[in-house]
Amino acid sequence: MSVFIQFVFLGLTLGAVYSVFATSLVGVYAATGIVNFAQGSVALWAAYTVAALRTDGTLVLPFGGSLRFGDVTSPMPMVLAVVVGVLSAGLLALLAHLLVFRPLRSAPPLANVAASVGLMLFLQALVVLRFDTDALFAQPVLPFKTFTLGNVVVNASDLIMGGTAVLVALLLWAYFRLTTTGVATRAASEDELAARLVGFSPDRLAAVVWVVTAMASGLIVVLGAYTIGLDPTSYTYYVVPALAVALVGRLTSFGVACAAGLLMGAFQAVLLWANTLEWWPSWAQAGLGDAIPFVVVVIALFVLGGKIPARGALTQVAMPEVRIPRLRPLPVAGVVGLAALAIALTSDSWRFGIVTSLILSLIALSLVLLTGYLGQISLASMAFAGTAGFTLSKATTEWHVPFPISIVLSAGLATLLGVGVGIPALRIRGAQLAVVTLAAAFAIQSFVFNNPSFTPYSGNLIGTPNLFGLDLSVRRGTDLITLRFSMLVLVVVTTTTLVVMRWMAGSTGRSFLAVRSNERAAASVGINVAATKLLGFALSAFLSGVAGCLIGYSRGQLSAASFSVVAGLSLLAIAYCGGITSVGGALVAGFIGPLGVFYVFLNQTLDLGQYYQVISAGGLLLMAVTNPVGAAGANAEMLRRLRRRRSEHSSTSARTPTVAPAKGLTSKVETHV
Amino acid sequence: MSDQQPLLETRDLSVRYGGVTANQDVSLTVEPGEIVGLIGPNGAGKTTFVDAVTGFARSTGEVRVGGKRVDGLPPHRRRRSGVARTWQAGELFDELTVAQNLAVAVQRPGLRGLIRDVLTGSVPPAATIGSALETVGLVDVADRRPPELSLGQQKMVGVARALVGGTSLLLLDEPAAGLDTHESQHFGVELRRIAAAGPGVLLIDHDMSLVLDVCHRLYVLDFGKVIATGTPEEIRNAPQVVAAYLGSPLVDTAAAVDGGRS
Ligand SMILES: Nc1ncnc2c1ncn2[C@@H]1O[C@H](COP(=O)(O)OP(=O)(O)OP(=O)(O)O)[C@@H](O)[C@H]1O
Ligand SMILES: [Mg+2]
Repeated sequence: MSVFIQFVFLGLTLGAVYSVFATSLVGVYAATGIVNFAQGSVALWAAYTVAALRTDGTLVLPFGGSLRFGDVTSPMPMVLAVVVGVLSAGLLALLAHLLVFRPLRSAPPLANVAASVGLMLFLQALVVLRFDTDALFAQPVLPFKTFTLGNVVVNASDLIMGGTAVLVALLLWAYFRLTTTGVATRAASEDELAARLVGFSPDRLAAVVWVVTAMASGLIVVLGAYTIGLDPTSYTYYVVPALAVALVGRLTSFGVACAAGLLMGAFQAVLLWANTLEWWPSWAQAGLGDAIPFVVVVIALFVLGGKIPARGALTQVAMPEVRIPRLRPLPVAGVVGLAALAIALTSDSWRFGIVTSLILSLIALSLVLLTGYLGQISLASMAFAGTAGFTLSKATTEWHVPFPISIVLSAGLATLLGVGVGIPALRIRGAQLAVVTLAAAFAIQSFVFNNPSFTPYSGNLIGTPNLFGLDLSVRRGTDLITLRFSMLVLVVVTTTTLVVMRWMAGSTGRSFLAVRSNERAAASVGINVAATKLLGFALSAFLSGVAGCLIGYSRGQLSAASFSVVAGLSLLAIAYCGGITSVGGALVAGFIGPLGVFYVFLNQTLDLGQYYQVISAGGLLLMAVTNPVGAAGANAEMLRRLRRRRSEHSSTSARTPTVAPAKGLTSKVETHV
Repeated sequence: MSDQQPLLETRDLSVRYGGVTANQDVSLTVEPGEIVGLIGPNGAGKTTFVDAVTGFARSTGEVRVGGKRVDGLPPHRRRRSGVARTWQAGELFDELTVAQNLAVAVQRPGLRGLIRDVLTGSVPPAATIGSALETVGLVDVADRRPPELSLGQQKMVGVARALVGGTSLLLLDEPAAGLDTHESQHFGVELRRIAAAGPGVLLIDHDMSLVLDVCHRLYVLDFGKVIATGTPEEIRNAPQVVAAYLGSPLVDTAAAVDGGRS
């Protein structure tokens, strides 16, 4: 028992990080209605700033050079370094508010999700680029004292961390409940005009919250980094458990978020202890802790049953414009021909980039269908792809399922998973759904992809595809990627895309758009909204699954890194900016996506491969801010205006009331629907 | 009463919103081919009644369509059993064109839809949609999107959308709001034609000349309860109706209509 309690206390440090992140998320949500996925990466910057200052007095600036405030023998004093680090987080958040989130104030929720995911990836990439992350370590900030409570040895630092978390929650709570500005901030996020009338500037109120919460998050990471360890990825993704516990408090309660955060940390620590127990099953030894957030989210949403108060329910939120695709043989043949030519004329890494882009565009297309048409934000697409990929490995090497069937089978399993992840969508929408799907993606990544019981580290080989005796394998001799395999990918991607375009242009697409536009009205015309949403998740997961199989065949061997959550996040954000409602947007996303053509171009031609993430995430941010409804949306809007102007012009000149109405309509309906 | 089942029959239908009783023991019937008016002052519970019948508000009591109980079914199932409605606030699909708004009600999503999309492209049945649009006089704007239309036109799109996709009972929540007098009269004529073809209609409207003109029978709601029922002639003279409407449009409009007629 005492060992158990020991671990509970050890978990306090991690729990405090979750807790402060969670209360910060609640604060930002209360002030702006934004779910800030970048909360962790802002804090990460602070932690590395302190680490660098404490190592040799270097103050690393986000861009350009760095300033020196000492050297290895006399680095910056601890207290000063912590202050500077915490301030750096505040400054970054202020910049983010001014440059990214304020301009997006009245943009659709998806724009905010894309922007905050973009910011998260951007900052993380920036940390890796600007800091020597391999060489920097966190220095202890808190005292090493221990004392005994009963027969349990407790670290003072763990207690201080827990205490800080509670203090932060208390202060935030007091600010929002007890001070006039705090109350005004909450009011302003709900009714901006009213706040302005009373003489408050909603921008300034929101800015205060951005800065304060970022500093709190920065502080807790700086304090805990020595105990937890410092690396450039984990803190970024601690936002997932933090979001989970914030959801327990329905994104509104500081107290619940704080307590649940501490509990989650303690619980994960206890799980670590459980791993040492003899009877603990081996499949539960890896990744279970990372799966907990998803379980918590599901419990919060279904068992506790609290609906999260939606923002701006009164105002009509603009959705990205949709252009229903028309299948015209000539352009289709043109694009496919061009792709075939590109594949034929290239080899090795360039051809690999093209094929990867093709595959990624299929995943992006799955998002176009689910997010663009049906309006359901999903961050789990890579998890679906990965599920299919790992199933493919088993299907081809252990069960010996032949080539095309193996894809259908594996993608089918991903489809089932997609339906499961889609169930929460029956209750929640918008950014909250994004949180749930992200938590699901993490759970799947950690518990399945990274779990040696399911996916052995020794490698997940994939059998070579054969069709009627024709060898379609990706490699032959020194050929990194064969023409045959590339053409196979082109055929699969083209066929699938054409089918999806038929869906988009047909009754499925129209019903999806109807559900996206107005669920109540959709139900009133006889659409089963719940079933339609699940259908969307199923189709989307199937498409991702097919792509995952192609990724599998193209690699020949899989690891969890092939399907990282990050890749999925970037793909959604890129797809959003490229145009989440159009096939063209999916192609653009594939082009820019990780390891695609754009990456090869940066890497091979410009030799700037290490800047890929910063450039793509930064470009993404820029696109999100300048085009809140996505590039395709902006184009469509312009086209529509042009057309309108032209049709107005012609209709005033030719007003003939003699056309037989029914006949005139028949032709109209056929050409335009 | 004939021993045939009425098209719509509610028995002791009640809806409570927290402390508010929005409908209390409303019993109402609509026969095939009949236009029944449901009137009452603002907040009387007319929309609530439509919500309850179509499954958008939780209710107690019985709702039968063609003799079959439908209370307890989700909205889309009730729509598929023939009960169609319009919304007081339009509730159109703003991203779809007018014709597509109707098409959605005809071709519903599902596995069959997926296959049909790929094989045939699921071109919406032009004749069905065309005739519905013609009924409400919107053929010209088939390719426009709802936000580009006037309020009256948007309401008519809602009516057309409710007409397609297999409709035996039409519940219209203030469809004529936004129409001018002439359009409203024209709409009344069309409504008669629709009902003559078979479906029953429940009409809610504040335009008393329209309601008194086209309805076969009327129910008057006040504070969630039916306070009067009868032919337009009977309703116009019922003292409790006049009392409920005292100083509100019914008296004035009815008087105006009377004056205009005589
Ligand atoms: N979703 C709801 N939640 C709580 N109360 C509601 C809700 N919908 C309606 N009410 C209340 O129920 C009562 C009846 O409202 P209802 O909208 O049915 O009236 P109505 O007769 O359609 O009025 P109007 O002529 O203005 O359209 C009103 O007191 C209204 O405030
Ligand atoms: Mg009403």
